[in-house]
Amino acid sequence: MIRSIFIKETQLLLKDKGTYFWLFVLPILFIVMFSSIFGNAGTTTYTIRYFDADGTKESRQFMDTLAQIKGFELAADNEKSLADQIQAVRDGKQTSLLVIPQGYSQRLLGKGAAEVELHRDAAEDAAAAPVAAVLDSVTKQYQEHKLRVALKGTGQSQTGIDALLTAPIQVKDIKENVAKANPVTQIVPGYTVMFVFFIMITMIHNFLRDRDSGMVSRLKGTPLKAHQYLIGMWLPNMMVVLVQSTVLLTFGFIVYGLHLGDLFAVAAVIISLSICATGIGLMLSVLVNSVNTGVAIVQIIAMGGAIVGGLWFPYELLPKAVQWIGLFTPQYWAQRGMQDVMIRGAHLDGVWMTILILLAFGLAGLAVATASFNRFAAKAKN
Amino acid sequence: MKHVLEVADVVKRYGSKTALDQVDVHVKEGSCFGLLGPNGAGKSTLMKLMTGILQADSGMIRAFGMDTRHQMSEIRQRVGYVPQEITLYEKLSAVQNLKFFGEMYGVNGAELKQRIAHVLEQVGLSDRANEAVETYSGGMKRRINLAAALLHQPQLIILDEPTVGIDPQSRNHIFEMIRGLKKEGLTLVYSTHYMEEVEALCDDIAIIDHGSVIAQGSLHEILEQHADQAVYVESDYITEPPQLSSIKRASARGRGWVLESEQPLHTLRDLSQLFAEAGARVHALELVKPSLDRVFLKLTGTALRD
Repeated sequence: MIRSIFIKETQLLLKDKGTYFWLFVLPILFIVMFSSIFGNAGTTTYTIRYFDADGTKESRQFMDTLAQIKGFELAADNEKSLADQIQAVRDGKQTSLLVIPQGYSQRLLGKGAAEVELHRDAAEDAAAAPVAAVLDSVTKQYQEHKLRVALKGTGQSQTGIDALLTAPIQVKDIKENVAKANPVTQIVPGYTVMFVFFIMITMIHNFLRDRDSGMVSRLKGTPLKAHQYLIGMWLPNMMVVLVQSTVLLTFGFIVYGLHLGDLFAVAAVIISLSICATGIGLMLSVLVNSVNTGVAIVQIIAMGGAIVGGLWFPYELLPKAVQWIGLFTPQYWAQRGMQDVMIRGAHLDGVWMTILILLAFGLAGLAVATASFNRFAAKAKN
Repeated sequence: MKHVLEVADVVKRYGSKTALDQVDVHVKEGSCFGLLGPNGAGKSTLMKLMTGILQADSGMIRAFGMDTRHQMSEIRQRVGYVPQEITLYEKLSAVQNLKFFGEMYGVNGAELKQRIAHVLEQVGLSDRANEAVETYSGGMKRRINLAAALLHQPQLIILDEPTVGIDPQSRNHIFEMIRGLKKEGLTLVYSTHYMEEVEALCDDIAIIDHGSVIAQGSLHEILEQHADQAVYVESDYITEPPQLSSIKRASARGRGWVLESEQPLHTLRDLSQLFAEAGARVHALELVKPSLDRVFLKLTGTALRD
């Protein structure tokens, strides 16, 4: 009988166009949209807008030094006056403007310190910060050059000068997992996990359909047992989640080159995630009185969990209090499990905690659903 | 004759409302038993108690000699229930729906396939078997709703108002099916608020009103016991009911009068004499055929479909 309900429910799911939209089309749209926006974050080029009022060989040399720095490009607007361009910064129309004032060359070659001006919008500090940092770096190169010339004048050897100018502390920048970690490893598993929880809407619809059409009452008149009905109704949804997750991750793999890692471990996380989402879905299906209430609760669970569980933004960037709340959501553990495998190269033994927690959520939902089924059946239309 | 179904002193309450009060019903094997009553009388509740969908607060229901409180699993295999609501999956075809219901009763494989073909033929929908139920008319859905209860070849079929809101063609199909099933020796319990359906199909009847059985027996017994004999008269000569000693009560119907009488032949004779002497023109003067409608009106003071 479980098989019969499974087949019937699968046939109904396949005939429901809403299933395809909510579980497949919409998440793919989100993945495509957000990957297009953030997918190239690692190779962003900053534009340095400048105005060369000096117009000398030295000022062009300074700009050439800047132009050689990877990740930055120069842009000059020769049609606008300096005053207009500074006003544009004040109006928030551009984030910064580098100005090489008249007399720059004279000061550089003379005894005084040459100055360049960086006009920046204080409200867009974060956007202008990389430009400020690169200017700082370039001025230090000029300072080092000046010191080298001075030290050479005192008769120091090249080796001695190098030794003197070497910083006492060197920061060795080692990026772990750099080959795998990119915005796609946040977006694809993130939206996969988020949309998995939308299966709960389908489950609520289907259970309340049976309850309110008199089907539950009719089935009570057959030899069917309550647990057979529940299992038969639950399994097709679990299967849909497995297919949904596989489709979305495969899409990420094919289109965005998502690194999947140990497929066995990813599969284990997905299976436990499907038990978790459908277990909670089963619980809601037998507890809620109306579809509208059910949909509202699912939105809270799916969206709220997505925010605090680190599906939309990397968990590390969330405020501490939000991070703490996130620990109690299945979404956090599912995302962590996926990223452990995809980014950090974890295998099954590295995601056992995720699997256990997701299974605990799912089994708790199944237990509540089983215990509440008689109450659900009593409300069935007679 | 052996009773397939015995309902004794059954009480069912929904909160403070008593839906069934001390109901006693006995259904003979191979008969068609009619439950007649207005909407809300308690017919559907009684049927759900018979099928084990609901539990009685007190009293006893036995089917095939088994107590529904303890042996419902065995009873369910032998009972087919057709609910008042059309409980089918609209997106699935008739075959898919029937397959599902057949399997719910443990019928599978080639045997189920054969039975599905048979019931589809019985309900006259073989040619549309693979179309989605949502494309069917209300009457066609009702026929599939009935067919779904026959797949496990039950010995007792409980039909809760199976002809509500359907076209004459589907109604005839259902009537023919019921007659056919009865001929095969099956026992049927049929609820309706259409008196003519009970008269056309049922051997025994229970009239239910406000949760109580107010009359029970064969159609003949009920009419004999509760229906007053009457004469119908229609003539331009009378504008008021005639004053005859044999007439107990008179009521207007159409352009004439129904005159209840314990001695209808005497009443007929007296009226004939009266009209003959007056040379009056008479449009109708006849014995009134006793009806369940009049029995119900007499027993409850309200018309059946009020």
